[in-house]
Amino acid sequence: MKAGFGSQQGAAVPGGPPGTPAESSAATWGETLVVGAAVPRVDGWQRVTGTAVYPLDLQFPGMLHAAVLRCPHAHARVKRVDTSRAARMPGVRAVLTAASPGADVPWYPQRGKGPTSKLFDPHCRYAGEEVAAVAAETLFQAREALAVIDVEYEVLPCVAEMEEALLPGAPPIHGGGNRQNETLRYQRGDVAKGFAEADAVVELSFRTACEIHTPMEVHGSVARWEGDTLTVWDTTQGVFAVRDALASALGLPRAKVRVISQYMGGGFGSKLGLNKHTVMAALLARATGRPVKLFLSREETFLCVGNRPPNRLTVRAGAKKDGTLVALEMKALGTGGAYPHMPTSAYLVTDLYACPNVAVEEDNVFTNTGPGRPFRAPGFPPCAWALEQTIDALAEKLRIDPVELRLKNVPSVSQQRGGVPYTSTGLAECLRRGAEAFGWKAARARARGRGHLRRGVGVAAGMWGYDGEPRATASVSLFADGSALLNTGASDIGTGTKTVLAQVVAEELGIAPERVRIEHADTGTTQYAPASGGSQTVVVNAPAVREAAQQVRRELLELAAAALSRPQEELRLAGGAVVTPEGTAHPFASFQAFVASQPLVGVGRRHPHPKGKVALPFVAQFAEVEVNTRTGEVRVLRMLGAQDSGRVMNRLTFESQVFGGIVMGVGFALTEARVVDRRTGTVVNANWHDYKIPTIKDCPAELTCLPVDLQDRECNSVGAKGLGEPATIPTAAAIANAVYHAVGVRVTDTPASPVQIAALLQRREG
Amino acid sequence: MIPNFRYVRPTTVAGVLEELARGDARLHAGGSDLLGCLRDGILAPRSVVSLAGVPELRGIRELAGGEVRIGAMTTLREIASHPLLRERYPGLAQAAGLVASPQLRNQGTLGGNLCQKPRCWYYRGRFQCARKGGDTCYAAEGENQYHCLFGGETCYYVHPSDLAPVLVALEATAHLLGRGGRRAVSLERFFLLPSQDFQRETVLEADEILAEVALPAPRPGAASVYRKVRERGSWDFALVGAAVALSRSDGVVEGARIVLSGVAAIPWRAQTAEKLLVGRRLNAALAAQAGAAASEGARPLAHNGYKVRMLQGVVEEALRSLA
Repeated sequence: MKAGFGSQQGAAVPGGPPGTPAESSAATWGETLVVGAAVPRVDGWQRVTGTAVYPLDLQFPGMLHAAVLRCPHAHARVKRVDTSRAARMPGVRAVLTAASPGADVPWYPQRGKGPTSKLFDPHCRYAGEEVAAVAAETLFQAREALAVIDVEYEVLPCVAEMEEALLPGAPPIHGGGNRQNETLRYQRGDVAKGFAEADAVVELSFRTACEIHTPMEVHGSVARWEGDTLTVWDTTQGVFAVRDALASALGLPRAKVRVISQYMGGGFGSKLGLNKHTVMAALLARATGRPVKLFLSREETFLCVGNRPPNRLTVRAGAKKDGTLVALEMKALGTGGAYPHMPTSAYLVTDLYACPNVAVEEDNVFTNTGPGRPFRAPGFPPCAWALEQTIDALAEKLRIDPVELRLKNVPSVSQQRGGVPYTSTGLAECLRRGAEAFGWKAARARARGRGHLRRGVGVAAGMWGYDGEPRATASVSLFADGSALLNTGASDIGTGTKTVLAQVVAEELGIAPERVRIEHADTGTTQYAPASGGSQTVVVNAPAVREAAQQVRRELLELAAAALSRPQEELRLAGGAVVTPEGTAHPFASFQAFVASQPLVGVGRRHPHPKGKVALPFVAQFAEVEVNTRTGEVRVLRMLGAQDSGRVMNRLTFESQVFGGIVMGVGFALTEARVVDRRTGTVVNANWHDYKIPTIKDCPAELTCLPVDLQDRECNSVGAKGLGEPATIPTAAAIANAVYHAVGVRVTDTPASPVQIAALLQRREG
Repeated sequence: MIPNFRYVRPTTVAGVLEELARGDARLHAGGSDLLGCLRDGILAPRSVVSLAGVPELRGIRELAGGEVRIGAMTTLREIASHPLLRERYPGLAQAAGLVASPQLRNQGTLGGNLCQKPRCWYYRGRFQCARKGGDTCYAAEGENQYHCLFGGETCYYVHPSDLAPVLVALEATAHLLGRGGRRAVSLERFFLLPSQDFQRETVLEADEILAEVALPAPRPGAASVYRKVRERGSWDFALVGAAVALSRSDGVVEGARIVLSGVAAIPWRAQTAEKLLVGRRLNAALAAQAGAAASEGARPLAHNGYKVRMLQGVVEEALRSLA
């Protein structure tokens, strides 16, 4: 067996970057000029006009096109694969199966147990599993060849529903059965005692649907060999993670594998880590000596590149009359499909609110469905859906305003970490300022309407539990003409990373952001950065970029001070010039020492997280909805996101993250669900019209982004905390609470579409 | 993947009919349903015959006497925005404006909208279902939340058109052209239940085309409306929709048609509810009563019981909007 295998999990595989020095980082900025401003995307023009080249756009001379044959059965054993006819089809240049050289690659590792499958495993455990691949001159020829590959399957009984996976007689998906691991337990205090002391207890059960990421750009790669060196253009969130896993899969030294992903069309977690099709493209390219492009169809992306796993969650909460929480309990069941994955998260139950007695049990089962993958705040939106509706119900039972009940239970430390203080904690301020800006009290007291259109408002809070991998390197080169080159391994997955990092350089060096060219996300030419995910991209990379720019700044000020015979402290950088206190601007190019030695180069690193403290973002969101009691239709009229993500690095990209997170949360709340036919285990809505992501008409007409910046000076040297994930965590729960406020129906299952609400209203009325 | 086919674009109706007569051909109007059907393997014709080159199939005209004819190739956008239609048949213009998305309304046509293939996800998916010659209807016991309440026997799809129920409510007539000449069929009889014909959705023969739809001049006191419930605000088929056309004299209902979408394989007339209205003045109470009556005969499947309440509510709303 080879040393490694395809990483399907979110964590980046260590990639051998330079060690991170231990000295503390620089103090963060006070006033800023460029950082925090509403700077438009540095690559906006390219993206909008179509001149940005995405991996899907690539064409090379002689390039072949590949396609994958997938098992149509949810559970089957491949008895025989006959590719002889396919190999003779017009244009076909290579056919890849389990028997091909190099194709015996282990896959889907389970922690502590090793791989559970292979690149082509004869035991197919979900509908969509890979059986063979073909490279041909055209994509049509490749797909036509797939149709004549003759596969003999032994179709096995399948289990599609997580609730049925552990029933006696359920078909075993892996040798050890369908329980992926022993029940995970978390406990602090004594919940039985807590509930006994409680004046009010509520318990609710929830089910959240499986969501598909469906980024704009489908998943795929282009692979090209030059001698024994492999270059892969992959649409990925983390080029280093892909490189390391790909090198392991192919038995290549890391230095001989170059992975590039300069533009990529979104991922939401589904493009973290190596994919099978990337390995296939590399093997087909090696077999044919030609570049090979392998992109999935939209339908395939619904089956085999990840999902947000379905959850079944029961939450019980107990509080004293005054609202003090005394006990919280959650039981969770989830399935990451056919392969190892952590499908649930109890994090919010353990850490969002101060509570002395907490108990959690999480069960995780295999089913014959597509594998789960990290999906924007993995596990958190489902957990918030359950916890925050339970808190809402508790508030009602206690006759306490839902905002007040939450404020009553704001913790000052991370209880989940055994009492570690936060560098800053904005939960209370998000609730207070959010409620104020939303007009919560007035909206809550307002009549809900007497006709069939009822209005209601709801609130939900959240936090994100990951502070990032504190390890990244960046370099900045400044030229005497006032332009700079920024080198960073970070991927810009559509969030504006490049723009924010350019602002950091611009801030330090007194140049305009558009004077910064960015070289990024290329393992052959750029410095290490962890994958862009986990809300860590800015938090991890901006401090490294800042340190690199600061080095350049110091060097420049030194030579300018010498040339001008002024103390360094008097000088500042602005407009591509060194400016004296009198306001005289000396352009960079006027310094001979600079011109002669340009570029000035600085290398910066991300320093470790602050000792003994943890930096996490907090959020509270507010929703107003209108429910039609005749038809069950729900309209989200307005939403407000109060976000403590530390410093606002760029007002525009900050807002985009919050609005995007809310819209994604609207999809989770109201429209999105993968539907699996129970008997055949087949996804019946694997396309963009039956799987319903929200349209512009489903977005709240009024969206408000309210940054709550508590001026955190300790979290890192730029003062920013994560944003991408917290922005979507409480959205759906806030909407569900608003629906309850409007019509008194507790929507426990997602999506809260008219299908469900009409049924709930009908049931209530008998 | 779309299989190969021969593509022809005749410039006359006669040319189109000649191509159809050669057999194994499918018409291409806007293509928004055809391309999906080709891609999903629902259709695999030898020839695809474009109607885009035939000008007389396009357009909206008023005949002497007030009848309005809409050519089958008229786009949904044109119907939604046409002043005459908006004035005389508001329900039709509303329905056209609620179809799919702006892009699809620019492309989709009246004829194509009426002649869509079923939207059942088993039929469209990789299931060898009964309608495709297999031996099982997967929807009967499967994921049938979007399937029918009425008229389902052995096949449970719902007709995907928003225009069809309004046109039935407006007592429109379909004009069909074939080599034998022209025939007129009331829109109500144009659609076929699976129990009437298991393979075809309409009475169109393989060598016939739908040329135009005729709308009778509205009676004095006529009013119409279409109300559609869907899961998202755009680009979605109806969960349930209600088309209502009324004629009234001094406020008293003389004629009423209530036709539902999303509940049957054909536009479904709620005749009990219609009868309740005749001879009475429409008010909130009567609207609720008629709404309740509209679900008479509904036979919900395992996952579509919600449609009963929804159709009652949507009929009530549609009627109240005309009260």
